[in-house]
Amino acid sequence: MTGPVSAGGGAKRGLGRLRRRPGGRRGPVRPGQLGVAFATPAILVGLVFTLGPVIVIAVFSFLSQPETGGGVVYQFSAEAYRHFLFQEDFVGNTNLDLRYLRSFGLSAFQALATTAVCIGLAFPIALWMTTKTSRVQNLLVLVVTIPFWTNLLVRTYAWILLLSDRGAANAVLEAVGLAPRQLLYNSGATLVGLIYTFLPFAILPIYSALAGFDFSLAEAAYDLGARKSGVIRRVIWPAAAGGVMSAVALCFVPAFGAFVQPVLLGGGKVLMVGNLIAAQYGEARNWPFGAALSVIILVLTLLGAFALLRLAKRSSQKVSLAI
Amino acid sequence: MTILEAQPAPGGAADAIGAEPQEGRRPRLMRGSIPHSLMLNRFPGLGTISLVSLAFLYVPMLIVMAFSFNGGNQALIWQGFSLRWYARVFTDASIISATKVSLQVAAIATVASTVLAVLYVLAMDRLSRAGSAISTTILAAPIVVPEVVMGVATLAFIRLIGLAPGFVPLVLAHTSFCVPFAMMNIRACYAGLNPAYFESAADLGATHWTVIRRIMLPLLMPGIISGALLAFVVSMDDFMISNFLASAGSTTLPIYIFGLIRKGVNPSVNVVATLLLILAVVVTTATTLLTRRQAKK
Repeated sequence: MTGPVSAGGGAKRGLGRLRRRPGGRRGPVRPGQLGVAFATPAILVGLVFTLGPVIVIAVFSFLSQPETGGGVVYQFSAEAYRHFLFQEDFVGNTNLDLRYLRSFGLSAFQALATTAVCIGLAFPIALWMTTKTSRVQNLLVLVVTIPFWTNLLVRTYAWILLLSDRGAANAVLEAVGLAPRQLLYNSGATLVGLIYTFLPFAILPIYSALAGFDFSLAEAAYDLGARKSGVIRRVIWPAAAGGVMSAVALCFVPAFGAFVQPVLLGGGKVLMVGNLIAAQYGEARNWPFGAALSVIILVLTLLGAFALLRLAKRSSQKVSLAI
Repeated sequence: MTILEAQPAPGGAADAIGAEPQEGRRPRLMRGSIPHSLMLNRFPGLGTISLVSLAFLYVPMLIVMAFSFNGGNQALIWQGFSLRWYARVFTDASIISATKVSLQVAAIATVASTVLAVLYVLAMDRLSRAGSAISTTILAAPIVVPEVVMGVATLAFIRLIGLAPGFVPLVLAHTSFCVPFAMMNIRACYAGLNPAYFESAADLGATHWTVIRRIMLPLLMPGIISGALLAFVVSMDDFMISNFLASAGSTTLPIYIFGLIRKGVNPSVNVVATLLLILAVVVTTATTLLTRRQAKK
């Protein structure tokens, strides 16, 4: 799922710039290196605590719910998946139930809007960054990276402070003569929070794709009579495309499963898939259904990632889905 | 600048060996100098969009910082500068105990994940191509899988293996999702090292472990430190996964402040938020400086 990873300069230097040295597996251990056995603890931890839970959740999604409380009963059942689409009324008729599908729709909409706005802003920002001297570029990477590493709750809380009834945003509205209004606890506030969270996720990979860009190519295009739009569309955009694809994945996937922003900025009125899943392990106590929702999200995510990688391969772009 | 960098630094033998061939650096210099004036004129509006967006990123956080120094009882009405909420937070028993839990979890997870990451990086060249592809995917998965899913999945897993939510599951889960973050910079640092160092040390009679202990680890140190710092921040910041794994006695700081924030604005949260923000600024700056100094070598 993760190709070579190459997002962001500075602190975000990639996970995957693996330098293959001569020797490989069969030769003697080279000076300074360790035997292959030393790689196993990390892999084992990943297998047990990442792959393990994912497998468990997949299994749980096909188990039954106990009479009371959370947990599962070890008895095969596809009820959880049926529950996603259908509802049984009190006389036993099965009806199509669109509530959960609507949550998915809302999540998809929020995630798409977030991704679109983030890419729309990130591309010009990344391009602007690359036009600076390398000293300024380094500083700008730092400036973009700081929010990236700042606590998500803190960043979300900042918007509560701004948008609350007597917050700065309403003060501005009043100052320009508009009536103050309820800005918080709706899907608009959620969207702002999501965009705010994921903008750095979009800027860094696009910047890193453009950072090595040789601007004499753009000059050559100008010399050959291209216009501004042509240069951006046909010279710069192709160079950035790999980074844009990474950015799409890095914004869309976590935004789709967002939990914090809908709860804190949407005030519980905005029910996204993330909230739905969390609720199954909290108030609703329907573990198999929560597991089924998780599996649906995971499968959608994997399909999306796969499609993106196919697309990237076809246009021979390097895409990475990790930071 | 070119001349300065092409000369071996007068710092001693190790530096002289390490001086990279200067060709590798040239495009980097050209990139900054040529398009600068040209691009700005030719893409009008870029600067405005960018500066407004950067302001969008920073203004909300700066407002939180400013209000953390508010003297009043209201989180939102400015009543003069005061440190009273800092005093309140530093003596708040719940915040202190939540911070303690967070620090303990983060400390253990940081050390464990950094050790795992270093061992992996030093051995990864010996994995087969398929092995390395698979392990990279597994190790990077926590970044790609939606956090809610990872949270509930880990809860289900923990219950299945017979553990109850609490401190131990927190430490295990944090260690696991910190590994990729710790590894990023260690790996980048490792990729920038010149294998000639280790070969010459071996040629001069250093044993295998001496090469690792005396040469590899010191050279890798900037990556290790910055990787550990990032792992620490990631662990300190995690809310989503911890929320499913913590018990009443092991409430972490993010879980506690989530509870506070849920009730709306709160002067204590302004202070905690400011402190966490400062942590992010310090760590990000330190990691950037560390990786940059390494890149210059």
